[in-house]
Amino acid sequence: MADFEPRIVTFCCNWCSYAGADGAGVARLQMPTNFRIIRTMCSARVDPEFVLRAFSKGADGVMVLGCHPADCHYIGGNYRARRRIALLRMVLEQYGFDPKRLKLEWVSASEGEKFQKTIVEFVDVIKELGPTPLKKEVN
Amino acid sequence: MGFFDKLFKKKDAEPKAEAAKKSEPAATKASVKVEEKKAAPAPAPAGAGPAPDAFVVPPVANPNDSKIPEDVKLKASDMGPLLPGAPPGGKIKLAVYWTAACGGCDVSLLDIHERILTVGDMAEIVMWPVAADGKEKDIAAMEDGEITVTLINGAIRNSENEHMAKLLRQKSTILVAYGTCAMYGGSPALANLVPGGAKDILDYVYTKTPSSANFQNEYHKDAPVIPQTSYQAPEGELTLPVLYDTVKTLDQVVDVDYSIPGCPPLPESILQLLKAVEDFVYNGVPLPPKGTIVGVTTKTLCEECPRRKESRRITEIKEPYQVDIDPELCLMDQGILCLGPATMGGCGARCTRAGQPCRGCYGASPDVQEQGASMFTAVASLFPVLDEDPTCGEDEIIKIMSTIKDPLGYFYAYTLGKSLIKRAVKEGGQ
Repeated sequence: MADFEPRIVTFCCNWCSYAGADGAGVARLQMPTNFRIIRTMCSARVDPEFVLRAFSKGADGVMVLGCHPADCHYIGGNYRARRRIALLRMVLEQYGFDPKRLKLEWVSASEGEKFQKTIVEFVDVIKELGPTPLKKEVN
Repeated sequence: MGFFDKLFKKKDAEPKAEAAKKSEPAATKASVKVEEKKAAPAPAPAGAGPAPDAFVVPPVANPNDSKIPEDVKLKASDMGPLLPGAPPGGKIKLAVYWTAACGGCDVSLLDIHERILTVGDMAEIVMWPVAADGKEKDIAAMEDGEITVTLINGAIRNSENEHMAKLLRQKSTILVAYGTCAMYGGSPALANLVPGGAKDILDYVYTKTPSSANFQNEYHKDAPVIPQTSYQAPEGELTLPVLYDTVKTLDQVVDVDYSIPGCPPLPESILQLLKAVEDFVYNGVPLPPKGTIVGVTTKTLCEECPRRKESRRITEIKEPYQVDIDPELCLMDQGILCLGPATMGGCGARCTRAGQPCRGCYGASPDVQEQGASMFTAVASLFPVLDEDPTCGEDEIIKIMSTIKDPLGYFYAYTLGKSLIKRAVKEGGQ
């Protein structure tokens, strides 16, 4: 599994995490390039269907990044998001996925370093887990 | 060919004679007093011979009637006129078939009441497992497209289901996915969640269930007997259908023209389809465009539900028996998990009117693929933001959401076959 390069879909909220990712780039922090960022207006905009669709298309891991609790641009979006993600993790586990494949993390606009750390850690976790169990299925 | 022709002709003659008998009273029926005459052609139950009035069930007084507000009660549907006898171009052919289904859909066709008798005037029923004889070889002997309408109910679970679906598709002009199982996989598709697939299922059913375990222990202690798909008997090979690992929906196997959701479909939906076919057969009105879903609205069930919504926050999920249900208040507000917000409307909210939560048999609303995912969104928003929310970790949230038991089984009870991740997976199974 040494040469396994995971494909990770990352949803970043427009107000905190996307700016945080931007900050990480501006600060030239080194991190793996296994992730693709999709910008959403809020972490609550990430419909559970988006996550399931990412997995069904063969993503090895999905990350949802949002503003810290009590810091949401829309007051309570991230509280909704974390409840949905909790439900999704339960469902993914029922399907047979390792729930670690779905990660929710809070990254604020100034936390470029945290963004880098989160990515590095998540890529390691996914590398450990191996490719998505769904890949070989016809979908 | 001649052999099959003969076979088929012989069968052909019988239903015609029967249909002629039925159409007699239908033909004498003038446009008036249609309702009264319906008792006459109805076959009398064996021997009893009661007066026609005995068939009329007197309305039962419901002790709760006075409590239920007028707008919550469901109005009796208008069934419309009967079919006008045999069509000018001769009878069309109609087939009904069940694949992996409970049989409820097959029987549900009778919900169109006395109209079912006139369907016999319009169409020759070449196959209908629950009610009429009809064999695979008769269908196979037909020309392609000879059957005008075929209704298939049930999911595709084994090789026989698939073979019949493909055969009927080939022989039919219009193929209708009838009912939730054919459209979305229904309850049979929940079998997709068994990680080991068909092997595990067969093993469990034939060796682990209490009744079979005893039998196997007693008679086949070391080598349990599990049905084989093929057996070489001295007289020739015997075969049984092969059970598939993944239950499929009808449209994943064959091309489907129309679909009717429902478990089972409502009389209104059936009549809507019947009307379209009737207009086509008698008046040459073009059929609705391919892909039409019959008997649904573009909005969700909540739009039709008469209950008052207060968007209350809930902290605990309750079963209907645990709550003294308020007949006017939204069930979700009362803590009962109802799939109304994620389910396509069209059924008239029958279940919620009766105080039972929607289980989602109509599937996802038109622009959504994942009914379950759409429901996560709705349910998660109903849980209140807590004071400790800014400080607590994700484990705490999982604990809160764990009040929902078995989210996958509950939210995908009918639509797993159509979901994005169709079946159970195994980590490290590459």
